[in-house]
Amino acid sequence: MNRWKEKITKKHIIYSLLLIICFTASLVFVQNNHSFYDRPIAKVVETTELERTETIDQHDNSDIEVTQELKAEILNGDHKGSLLSINNHYTESQAIDHHFEVGDEFFVSVDSENQTGEILDVKRDIYVVFVLWMFLLVLIAVGKKQGVLSFVSLAVNALILSLALDIYMHNSDISLLWISGISVVLFTILSLLIVNGRNQKTYAAMIATLVGTLSSLIIAYFALDITGEQGLRYEEMSLSTRNPQLIFMAGLLIGALGAVMDVAITMSSSLFELYEKNKQISVKKLRQSGLEIGKDIMGTMTNIIFFAYVSGSIPMMLLYLKNDSPLGFTLTINLSIELARALAGGIGIVLTIPIAIYITLFFIKRDSKNQEL
Amino acid sequence: MNALILLSLILFILMALIGGKKGVKTFIALFLNFGVLLVTILIMNDPNASPVLLTLIASIIISMITLFFIHEVNRKMVMAFFSTIVTTILLLLFIVIITDRSMIQGFGPEEADGLYLFSLAIGLDFVEITISVIIMSTIGAILDTAIAISSPMQEIHQQNTTISRKDLFKSGMSIGRDILGTSTNTLFFAFFGGYLGLLIWLKDFDYSLGEMVNAKVFSDELIAILMANTGIALVIPITAAMSAYFYHSTKQPKEAKTQEFHTQKDNET
Repeated sequence: MNRWKEKITKKHIIYSLLLIICFTASLVFVQNNHSFYDRPIAKVVETTELERTETIDQHDNSDIEVTQELKAEILNGDHKGSLLSINNHYTESQAIDHHFEVGDEFFVSVDSENQTGEILDVKRDIYVVFVLWMFLLVLIAVGKKQGVLSFVSLAVNALILSLALDIYMHNSDISLLWISGISVVLFTILSLLIVNGRNQKTYAAMIATLVGTLSSLIIAYFALDITGEQGLRYEEMSLSTRNPQLIFMAGLLIGALGAVMDVAITMSSSLFELYEKNKQISVKKLRQSGLEIGKDIMGTMTNIIFFAYVSGSIPMMLLYLKNDSPLGFTLTINLSIELARALAGGIGIVLTIPIAIYITLFFIKRDSKNQEL
Repeated sequence: MNALILLSLILFILMALIGGKKGVKTFIALFLNFGVLLVTILIMNDPNASPVLLTLIASIIISMITLFFIHEVNRKMVMAFFSTIVTTILLLLFIVIITDRSMIQGFGPEEADGLYLFSLAIGLDFVEITISVIIMSTIGAILDTAIAISSPMQEIHQQNTTISRKDLFKSGMSIGRDILGTSTNTLFFAFFGGYLGLLIWLKDFDYSLGEMVNAKVFSDELIAILMANTGIALVIPITAAMSAYFYHSTKQPKEAKTQEFHTQKDNET
C-alpha cells in the first residue's frame, strides 16, 4: 500500500485532475449546447400512448404499430420555451422510427402556427462524447503512456483521413486511389512512429507494411480484372455518391492497412528481440522462428478484418430475408463487396508475413555487419 | 470465374504455402466462422429468438473454432478463451445501455430512399440487432489481443517458474501495453476502409460536424469503433489477471505448497 502511495507523484495528481475537469466540462457542455445548433431541438416532457395495433405485412411478418403523443419543449432558437404536441408513429421493431421517452431530445422542424412539428433526428452527441471518454479513460487506465500515444495516433489518423477526403472533394481531377495511396504512406509512417518510436524495428515494419499493402492491392486488382468483377454487386454499398468501384478499391487499401501494420510490427519486433537476446543466432533459425510466429498470428488477424467487415451487413441482410428475398440473392447483394474486401485484406496479411521476415532479416544482417566492422 | 472464388483461391494457396498445415487449418476455420455467422443470421430471422443471446453463443463457438481448431486445447488457449468471453460479457453491459439510449439502431433517415420497396415492420428487435452487430465486429479483435497476451505470459512463466503472481501480471500488462496501439489501429482502419463511401457521402452533402455527430449513419459507426476499441483495451487487464492467477496456481503438486506459501507472503507485503 505504501509503495503505491510513493509511486503517485504530483504529476499524476495534476493529470488526473485535469482529466476529470475535462471529462465533466465536456459532458456538461454537450448537455447544454442547444444554443450552438441552428436546427431547433425539443425535449420530451410528456408521453401518452394513443393507439396500439397489431400489423401483418405482405410477407406475413407481424409487428406492433404504436402511436404516441409527445409533448415536447423547444430548447433553442426563436421558439425557445414553447411546447409542441407531436404524434409519433413507430413500430416495435424500430427499424427506422423511434420510441421516445420523457427526457429524450430530438431535432425538429417546427410548425409554430399549429404548435406541432416533425421529428427529424435524435440528438445523439452526448452519447458519442460519453463513449469517446469511456474509451479514452479505459485506454489511459490500461495503457498509461502507451494508452495516450495510441489515442494520439488514432486522432492523427482521423485527421489525415478527413483532410485527404477534403482534398478529394475539392479536386475531383485527382484520383481517389492516388489520394488514398499517399494517405496510406502517411498513416503508416505516423502510426508506427507514434506508437513504437524511432528504431530499426519500426523502420523494418514500415517498409514491410508498404510493400505488403501494395502487393495485396495489385493482387486484388488483377483478380478483379481477370474475372471482370463477376459476382460483385455494388448496389447495396452504403450511401455512395461516387464511382463505387473506386471507393471499393480505396477502401480496400485503407481497410487492410491496420491489420498489415499489426502483422509487420509483430514480426519485426519479435525477430529483433530474438536477435538481441542471442546475436549469434543464424539467419536460418531466425527465418524459421519468424515463420512460426507468422503461422500463429495469421488466423486471428484474418478473423479481425473478416468480422469487422461482414458484421455491418447483418441488419440489411435480415431486412432482405424478412422481405422474402431468396437467400442466395441476399448474400450476394449484401456480402459480396464485404467478402471481397475481407479476402483481399487476408491476402495482404498472409503476404506480409514473409515480406516482413525478409525485410527484418535484411535490417538485422546490416546491423550485424556494422558491428563486425 | 467468380471474383470471390478467385480471391478465396489465392488466399488459400498463400495460407497453405506460408502456413503449411496450420495455414490450411486457418483457412478452414475462416470458412467455418463464416458458416457460424450465416447460421446465426438465419436463426435471427425468427422473431422469438433473442439476437443478443444468439450472438453470445455464436461468439463462444467462433472463439472455440479460432483457438482450439487452428491451435490446440492448451492452457494458453483456454486462458484466451475465457478472457474473451468475460470481456465480451462486460462490454455487452455497456453496449446495451448506450445503444438503447442513443437510438442508433436500424436505418437512418438518409437511407430511407433506398428502402421504400421494403416492408420495415418485420417484427425483429433492431436495438438488439445493433448490439449484436457491435459485438460481432469486435470479437475477432478481442480474441487476437487475448491470445497475444496469454501465450507470451505462459512462456514467461515456463522460463521462470518462481516468478510471483504480481510480477507475472505486470509482465502481462506490459506486453498488453505494447500491442495496444497497433491493435486499436487495426480496427480503426478496418472500419474506416469499410465506411469510406459513407464518409465521402457525408462530405458531398456538406454535413457539418454537429450534423454528423448526431446523424445515425455516422454516430453508429463511431460508437461501434469506440466500443470495439474499448473492448481491446479491456481484454488486456482481464487476460493478464486471469493468466497470472491460473498459470500460477496450476503447478506441479510437489511445489504447490511452497508456492502457496510464497504467494501468501507476497500478498501480505
